[in-house]
Amino acid sequence: MSPDIPGEGDLWRSSWEAAVDGAVAVVDCREEIPCNPCEEACPTGAIRVGPDICAAPRFDPQACNGCGRCVALCPGMAVFLLDRREKSGFARVTVPYEMGERPVEGEEVQVVDGEGKALTGGKILKIRALGGGAPTLLVTVRVPESVALKVRGVRYRLMERDGFREVDKLPSLADYPLCRCEDVPLERVRDILRTGLKSLPSLRRASRVGLGYCQGMFCQSSLRQELAEATGREGEEIGSFRVRPPVRPVKLGFLGGGNA
Amino acid sequence: MPEVMSSEVVVIGGGVIGAAVAYYLSREGAEVMIVEEDDLAAGASGACDGFISLQTKTPGPHLRLAMESAQLFPALAEDLEVDIEYRRCGGLLLATSQDQMKELRARAKALKAEGLEVEVLTVSDLKELLPEVGKEVKGGSYCPLDAQVNPISLTLGLAQKAQEMGATIIRGCKVENIVVTNNRVREVHTTVGNIHSRRVVCAAGVGSNQIGKMIIVDVPVLPQRGQILVTESREPVLKILVAGAEYLGTKANIQALMPADVEAAKLGLGFTAEQTAAGNLLLGSTREFVGFDNQTTPEAMNAIARNALRYLPWVEDMDVIRSFAGLRPCSPDGLPILGTIKGVRGFFLATGHSGDGICLAPITGKMISELVLDGETSLDITPFSLYRFK
Repeated sequence: MSPDIPGEGDLWRSSWEAAVDGAVAVVDCREEIPCNPCEEACPTGAIRVGPDICAAPRFDPQACNGCGRCVALCPGMAVFLLDRREKSGFARVTVPYEMGERPVEGEEVQVVDGEGKALTGGKILKIRALGGGAPTLLVTVRVPESVALKVRGVRYRLMERDGFREVDKLPSLADYPLCRCEDVPLERVRDILRTGLKSLPSLRRASRVGLGYCQGMFCQSSLRQELAEATGREGEEIGSFRVRPPVRPVKLGFLGGGNA
Repeated sequence: MPEVMSSEVVVIGGGVIGAAVAYYLSREGAEVMIVEEDDLAAGASGACDGFISLQTKTPGPHLRLAMESAQLFPALAEDLEVDIEYRRCGGLLLATSQDQMKELRARAKALKAEGLEVEVLTVSDLKELLPEVGKEVKGGSYCPLDAQVNPISLTLGLAQKAQEMGATIIRGCKVENIVVTNNRVREVHTTVGNIHSRRVVCAAGVGSNQIGKMIIVDVPVLPQRGQILVTESREPVLKILVAGAEYLGTKANIQALMPADVEAAKLGLGFTAEQTAAGNLLLGSTREFVGFDNQTTPEAMNAIARNALRYLPWVEDMDVIRSFAGLRPCSPDGLPILGTIKGVRGFFLATGHSGDGICLAPITGKMISELVLDGETSLDITPFSLYRFK
């Protein structure tokens, strides 16, 4: 059966052809955004973004070993694995899965496309985690080849099996983390603001907001907003705090290699 | 705020030393006001590691001061509302050559003679304390009394407790002048108003020279930059403080322990590593005289990382998530400057701790409090007088 490739025929043809020998990645990344975890994740160098971090990734199916690290690590969930070894009109597709309810191997699930529309039913063949603390699961489903390239996810919800569940009391906004890296709740920041700290760097020091992995790239604006509200000052007056190098995490071995 | 304020004692500087002085003074019932140009812990106290290291102190008055200070920490940890993450974890000083080993042995002997518990360890002894060390490591010395603390929590905790006991903390308040009449401090002029006070403590860290000039005294404190790398947070992997012998060399100016590499010597590179309560490793550090520049530099970051890999090869796969630099208030001999000033009554110096501020904060606070209120101290602090330089 010829693949049903929506407008991207040539881009995916090589992956489609290589998949008869086993699992191979299909890269569905069209956005030219500054992002390259796929390149870093790939142990064989099959995915390359290159020095221009905004470039779309280039993929070499011959070099791909089907390990699935790129599937688990792509923040945009834009990579999946295709495996057509069966040659029976069915293909195995592996997609990332990050929902709370863990699916079970052997169960039937709904297979959906990129817009969340149901494509067909499929059986879960395998579920695996790559470890290293990454919460993303890799779910392999068996689907007809005709829809294989459209699959972007599986729908697996308790409510579909057991009916709706009532949600317990929602946590208050103040308990939500303002800084996810250091897990600092909004209320802690407000407590510190009540002690009279005035500057953004001091607030960072005292609360640890902005001292984690992202160095404030995500939480600094929220922190400034809290400070502005507490002190009645404008954003420009508050300024911003410096991001200290390295701007994004880098391995010590690399930094100490003398060429960083 | 009223235009003219008054306080029994004005403490200039909201770092760990200023906060400790205010804490001990408040405990004795004195009326204290901390004036801070920026914010609490905004200077060296907020940009350093949490070493309370005794075996790196110079035998003699310096070591005695540190040992007295170390004894005050457990009570402080109890008394402060904030968790200062104090832990008596022990500390290692590693040697990478037989010459360094010889020097460490001699030092251990001197330290033991002063009553500090120090053990000289072979590489196989080290294995029990540290799972894996670099091939170059030839042994080291271990001090079980070495401890660690969160320097920012300590500073904020001391200030907060002082405030609860009645101290006033004024942030964003720059001291512009100190009025002296009839050889006595009378008033402190600041950007937020004038403060009547007959007693002023200068705990201004790297700003102490500037403060000294206001009463025409040269306080020889220079900013010395120290850079540190911070790794991602991990489960406990490093239970003790670790430093390299070269750290001690560059700190205490011991020729036999200086880095052999020219570039490293230029950076004043010395290895230090500790894991904080949050799980991050702090890897240090450098000693550079670059004025008031507190930026980190790529050269130093590379050098610190390279050096860390020499001592602890297993850090190789850890992510460095940020770096920071702080300016140590450095005195010519690396020892603090404590005490009074000739010819100006009511002016006290508590500065120049040269990277020992966290370790020496409690004893400094206690001694200065005694000096301000009683005019004498329970421990002899004359070796730290400003006049030792003259």
